[in-house]
Amino acid sequence: MLSPGAELSSESDKSADGSTDPSIEHDDISISTSPVLPHVDASEIGPANLSLSGVTKRFPLGRNDTVLALDDISLDIAPGEFVALLGPSGCGKSTVLRLLCGLEEPTGGDVRIRGCHPSELVADHRLGVAFQDHALLPWATVADNVALPFKVAGQPVDNDRVRSLLELVGIAEFAKARPKQLSGGMRQRVSIARALALRPEVLLLDEPFGALDAVTRRRMNLELQDIWSTDQITTVLVTHSVEEAVFLADRVVVMTGRPGRIQTIRTPGFERPRSPELLRSPEFHELVDELTIALDEEPA
Amino acid sequence: MSMRDRLRTMGLGAFGLLLVIVSWEVIGRNQLLGRTFPALSDVLATIVDPARRGLFQRALEATIGSALRGFVFGSIIGFAMAALGVIFPPLRAGLDRLAAVMHAVPLIALGPFLIVTLSREGTPTAIATLAVVFNVFVATSAGLRVGNPLHHDVLTVLGAGSWERFRRLELPGALPFIADGLKLAAPAAVIGAILGEWFGAPRGIGIVIVSSLQNYQIDLLWSAALLGAMLSLVAFGAFSVLERWVVGRFR
Amino acid sequence: MTAALGGARTFASRYWGVLGILAIWQVYVSTQNLNSIVVPSPTAVFADVLTEPGAYLPHVWSTTWVAFVGLCVGVTLGIAVAVLSWLSPLLSGIVTPPAMVFRSVPVVAMIPVIARLLGYDIRTVLAITVIISFFPSFVFTLSGLRDLPAGSADVFSVLGSSRLTYLRRLALPSAVPNLLVAIRLSAANCVLAALVAEFLMGTQGLGYLFVRTRSEMDMARSWGAALVATVLSVSAFVLAARLEQWGRERWR
Repeated sequence: MLSPGAELSSESDKSADGSTDPSIEHDDISISTSPVLPHVDASEIGPANLSLSGVTKRFPLGRNDTVLALDDISLDIAPGEFVALLGPSGCGKSTVLRLLCGLEEPTGGDVRIRGCHPSELVADHRLGVAFQDHALLPWATVADNVALPFKVAGQPVDNDRVRSLLELVGIAEFAKARPKQLSGGMRQRVSIARALALRPEVLLLDEPFGALDAVTRRRMNLELQDIWSTDQITTVLVTHSVEEAVFLADRVVVMTGRPGRIQTIRTPGFERPRSPELLRSPEFHELVDELTIALDEEPA
Repeated sequence: MSMRDRLRTMGLGAFGLLLVIVSWEVIGRNQLLGRTFPALSDVLATIVDPARRGLFQRALEATIGSALRGFVFGSIIGFAMAALGVIFPPLRAGLDRLAAVMHAVPLIALGPFLIVTLSREGTPTAIATLAVVFNVFVATSAGLRVGNPLHHDVLTVLGAGSWERFRRLELPGALPFIADGLKLAAPAAVIGAILGEWFGAPRGIGIVIVSSLQNYQIDLLWSAALLGAMLSLVAFGAFSVLERWVVGRFR
Repeated sequence: MTAALGGARTFASRYWGVLGILAIWQVYVSTQNLNSIVVPSPTAVFADVLTEPGAYLPHVWSTTWVAFVGLCVGVTLGIAVAVLSWLSPLLSGIVTPPAMVFRSVPVVAMIPVIARLLGYDIRTVLAITVIISFFPSFVFTLSGLRDLPAGSADVFSVLGSSRLTYLRRLALPSAVPNLLVAIRLSAANCVLAALVAEFLMGTQGLGYLFVRTRSEMDMARSWGAALVATVLSVSAFVLAARLEQWGRERWR
């Protein structure tokens, strides 16, 4: 890893003009019918705030049956905040993330990013996302994978940006390699670099390190903290690891399942940047234990 | 898939098939593609024409007989070759290449040779056999080789001998593959029989096709071709059903 | 020396079956005392191919060319119809069931019908090879367009991809390995179907050479044509299999 910030600060003024042009490639997957707000030059916008108010989500189950996946989820996330959604598998935390991506529509309630429907940010290419499946294109090189968001947005590829992202996530020497030649950890680094390519307003991470071993995972957590602190982008991390959530997040939202509800929200107020020593401190362990117990509690 | 989606899929598919049938009729009726493209109704009328019933019946009997015999012989030979490759692994590479080359030999080249060495009657069966051998051999050897090593170990630990293992593990594991091979082999047997008849078998669908081609009997040509196609579709359909059952039962 | 011996052993272990057939053929011809007009010996056939390659070459070229052009046209049509079906679920729903039916129709047995329709010439041969390669390409490409790397569809959605970008940068590249499977399946079949068509009505090509020389009682040449045709269809298969393997390495 390199010193955070050094590469990016010199980059931020370069791509300021190459941002969204409303005339190019409008998204036709968009689900929104609300009037599209005037498009704003993205470089003038800081990190966005997110809000979920009274969100419910039902999935069809068989012919006339539905299952309630999310029940009355309300959550406000401040610009630049790092929030972890923590819960057992099947608690609906990934559904929350998919709602924020615009991949799902809520059955009830409202999902807003910077006051807009998520599909509007999608249409403007303002969201960054990384999944547990790295979802890299196997036929493209690492550099081409990171450059993909530019191509999808119909923008000229900013090669300096791609290079500095590869340096940021520590895989610059593998730029010409293809995903299958990389280890699982390196693939996730590429996936995160890709998510950051267009300087998104929101970074959405769904168990990005879920398939990695414990040691690699801890190292990736440190690197993710560095990446996040370079431009304090609003980040939502879905995870089932209590340690990961407590180490990285400003706020940890604990969810319980069937139906998915917010059980409690904790604020690990540890000073940043957080170092590996924190992982061995009693305060850290106290909070981890407390949240582990909260996770084990049966919902009332 | 919901009930509505399923109905929609079925409706669209039925519409597509109907479209083919209607365009066939319209093109033929108005001779849009010339005099050699008859309307479907004329072709069907020729098939059910009582005057032709005897001809078609004899031809179908001959072709079905050759295809069936070829299917049975070919399946036995293909299965035996695959089993040989599993029992004596050193032979495997040579068997693979032999099957590939046999498949690549143009059947038209074999026809004249078979007529000389076998007989006019035997040639359709022989060519159908060859067409079947390849499909069954490839599918069976692929199936016998997939055996899950974990299951293999479990049975070995339980003290199963190699025959017992073959019977309880390798053979049931290979059955879905064999069923898939038989599904592809069934229409191959029909094509093989028809091709074989072209070289001068006394009767059969292939003979009707060739003689009506030479005598410019368009309706008869299309009727025979349609019957041949139906035969291979029915063979394919029947073995698709069998395959589905086997896959459901053994996988 | 040992290397040569090892090489010979590998060769024998791979080709014992093919060599065995050739040996049986030779022994059969010698012992049965057959007239060479009925069945020529393999040595006579090989000798004819090797001493007079000029008699074969124009026909090899003709068959190869027809099979190759037919394959290219059929594959291109297959991709085009698959992409159109991918773009329109309505079209896909209408086209797929008839395509499944036609795919199982024995095309080679339909050659006489097509010959009557298009005429006794190269157009029929070409049409057969196009039909032979169209259906696998269509079916495999269509399934390939939907067989995407895990999670990539969601990534493209969130990145705000247009449907065209999605097709160009995700679905089409994903379909390449599947398409190559279709080409592997059709390549040898195209050659074989071209031979049958030439056999029945051609004016050139190896299938035609086979019939013509047989009627002239030049059996060594006739069997030579069959031998060369076998080599041609094996080569087509091997080349297509290599291409498929390369594609799988490169795209997966």
